[in-house]
Amino acid sequence: MKEYNIVITGVGGQGVLTAANILGWAALHAGHKVRMGEVHGMSQRFGSVVSYVRFGEEVYGSMVPEGKGDVILAFEPVEALRYINYLKEGGMVVVNTKPIVPVQVSMGKARYPELEEIKRIVEEDFKGKWIGFNAEELAMKAGHVVTTNTVLIGALTQVPEFPLDAEHVREVIRLSVPPKAVDMNMKAFDLGIEAAKKILGL
Amino acid sequence: MAKVTDMVLWDKPGEKVLLLGNQAIARGALEANIAVYAAYPGTPSSELTDTMAVVAKRAGVYMEYSTNEKVAFETALAAAWSGLRAMTAMKHVGLNVAADTFLSSVGMGVEGGFVIMVADDPSMWSSQNEQDTRVYAKFANVPVLEPSDPHEAKEMTKYAFELSEKFKHFVILRTTTRTSHARGDVILGELPEEIKQAKRKFGKFNKDPSRFVDVPSNARRFHPIVLEKIEKIREELNACPFNWIEGDENAKVGIIAPGLSYAYVKEALHWLGVENVKILKLGTPFPVPYGLLEKFMDGLEKVLIVEELEPVVEEQVKTWAYDRGLRIPIHGKDLVPRVYEMTTRRAVTAIAKFLGLETPLNYEKLDEKYKKALEIVPPRPPSLCPACPHRNSFFAIKKATHSKGIYPSDIGCYTLGLLPPLNAVDTTVAMGGSIGIAHGLEIAQHGSLSEEQRKKEKKIVVATIGDSTFYHTGLPALANAIYNRSNVLVVVLDNLVTAMTGDQPNPSTGQTPHGMGKRIPIEDVAKAMGADFVAVVDPYDIKATYETIKKALEVEGVSVVVSRQVCALYRIGQMRKRGEKWPIYYVDEEACTGCRLCVNAYGCPAIFWDEEKKQARVEPTMCWGCGGCAQICPFGAFKPVEEGEE
Repeated sequence: MKEYNIVITGVGGQGVLTAANILGWAALHAGHKVRMGEVHGMSQRFGSVVSYVRFGEEVYGSMVPEGKGDVILAFEPVEALRYINYLKEGGMVVVNTKPIVPVQVSMGKARYPELEEIKRIVEEDFKGKWIGFNAEELAMKAGHVVTTNTVLIGALTQVPEFPLDAEHVREVIRLSVPPKAVDMNMKAFDLGIEAAKKILGL
Repeated sequence: MAKVTDMVLWDKPGEKVLLLGNQAIARGALEANIAVYAAYPGTPSSELTDTMAVVAKRAGVYMEYSTNEKVAFETALAAAWSGLRAMTAMKHVGLNVAADTFLSSVGMGVEGGFVIMVADDPSMWSSQNEQDTRVYAKFANVPVLEPSDPHEAKEMTKYAFELSEKFKHFVILRTTTRTSHARGDVILGELPEEIKQAKRKFGKFNKDPSRFVDVPSNARRFHPIVLEKIEKIREELNACPFNWIEGDENAKVGIIAPGLSYAYVKEALHWLGVENVKILKLGTPFPVPYGLLEKFMDGLEKVLIVEELEPVVEEQVKTWAYDRGLRIPIHGKDLVPRVYEMTTRRAVTAIAKFLGLETPLNYEKLDEKYKKALEIVPPRPPSLCPACPHRNSFFAIKKATHSKGIYPSDIGCYTLGLLPPLNAVDTTVAMGGSIGIAHGLEIAQHGSLSEEQRKKEKKIVVATIGDSTFYHTGLPALANAIYNRSNVLVVVLDNLVTAMTGDQPNPSTGQTPHGMGKRIPIEDVAKAMGADFVAVVDPYDIKATYETIKKALEVEGVSVVVSRQVCALYRIGQMRKRGEKWPIYYVDEEACTGCRLCVNAYGCPAIFWDEEKKQARVEPTMCWGCGGCAQICPFGAFKPVEEGEE
């Protein structure tokens, strides 16, 4: 495998950076060359955030080039669309369908689109594939909303031809969360796997 | 998994770890046996300082969070004069603050290695401007090293100390956001014994007033010495391990790729499937080593320079070529944009045009459908956190001034007060600028009046400034306003940490990473300076804050209100660590009249508008329990959940 490109998007505070880190370490442990890119500082505060994870034999810059993303892992539906220019044709969008409505929408100054509209653009205009489910709900089922990112990573491992072994990724999560949160995260990871399998008909 | 900060100290040469560029630089400094480190945080440089803060004691390194970049620069410089290896770090605009010392002291040189890490922020992800530090370096005649990935950043840091010591000259290590905030595999090197044993190193300052006093008679001698040094360094860099020629040595076309652009160029060529080019990989954009350039240019018929921001390399190459009578096309900023950050797309587009090829992706088509997709995407700018005390301070200021004031503000999280619905920031320029601008605005608005009349005018200018910024460069401006009998209100938004860059301590925090700091209360400073009214309020009590601000506005002269409440993000982080709970608020549907004051004037990100019920709603997973909503709602609709939980 020459390179594999993951674009992780969401809202500041949702755990986008943590998810990227877990995937980066899993890739490093699997023997790949790894490059990750992220933005810190003011831009993190509840605003739109994006993080890149790239690995393989030949990876260069820390940002995924536009049109080269194998997967967009979106923690929030409109955030999937905001970075949809990174998706390659035939790429996969794994998305938590629970919206976080921006303040501008609450103030009545902007509209929040229907999920179906977002899905249509991904599938028709960008020729992408869509794995959408309410990851937050599953995280609550696992024990806590903070495991939403673990649910999503679980789902990500089921993407066809995803180059990292799911058990490998699980091990990194086990090692990186606080000891008392391990069981909860393992459950969240499984729920994510199940959800993706169901959607993909596996 | 081990903590990253532990990995930075691992005595495991050859081990491969995933490090942030900034952490890799910290490791490089340790491998280079650094003795003193001083810096003021600034995105994207901060994690270098934060990493040093955690490892310093265990590595026998003196480390401090200085109050500003100039002071940090001086601390480290003096250590380097004393024969120690010393480093300071800052963001690009931080170098502006340190510039006075930087440009004046460069001629004096150093004894121990002195490395100035400057992190540029092309595309301004978290900055007030876009400036290229390489231009400063050229101005000061100081060499710049620019890494292309995290591992190289570590290696270059070591080399930077050696280069600095060899020439007794300053060295700048320049990164950009995409190096500082890139993670990549880094191979650990050897740590010196002194670092492993946490042995503090001490220096000795040898007095030499002819060198360390920059009176004109001395300074006149320095300038030619600096010019001589930089040319010697240019020679030296021909053999710099971070500069090399690669690719097809018989190629007729060449590409020069400095710093991080090298990664983009490699990716672009790979993508285009182009092999018959020669590449000059430049780790030293200034000074460009002419010997290596000559070797590279040999046999070439045309050249492209792919560099981010200013044409620093391009100008050197063109000057060199002109002087040599070399008449081949040299492209650069005609094909590569001069603004915003480099991307693979930009590199691919420039190279394709340069070689007369099609881009591998139809960007026009992509842009077209992307533009269409964006039409339905609502904006989501960053916002003040839930429970952020600044929101309450701004709310009180707006209310007390009936939204009719002029509101100069400063650099920090609170700059986000500019966004709707608060709209409480009218100007932001640079660190500490709010108070100076406030004074100037007051003069301009009321300046034509007699002093007698002016005194009668109500205060309309309300400056806001954070605690760290106050100590950074707010102090001289406050002294100036008080001294010149200005008539402004300064509200110091004191959240007791430098929040925006990651909760670093400052004089208002008192604590240092090593625990032995002394706290300086802002109100004591304001009183000592002679402010006409000084008060301290808790912004979580909105009514009391409002009343105090109202009173402060009535007082003639300079009023200072210290609005003190610990940063919510910091507080919640600490509570989570300790496993503590906080109250969660909810909307009592009976009481909510749907007046929208909470969304239209207060703007907490945890409060949403329920379009169906025409009522406000609190998202429980986002509420951090400050209770501000309960205080501002005229109908008492926000109530805490009995059994509060996270």
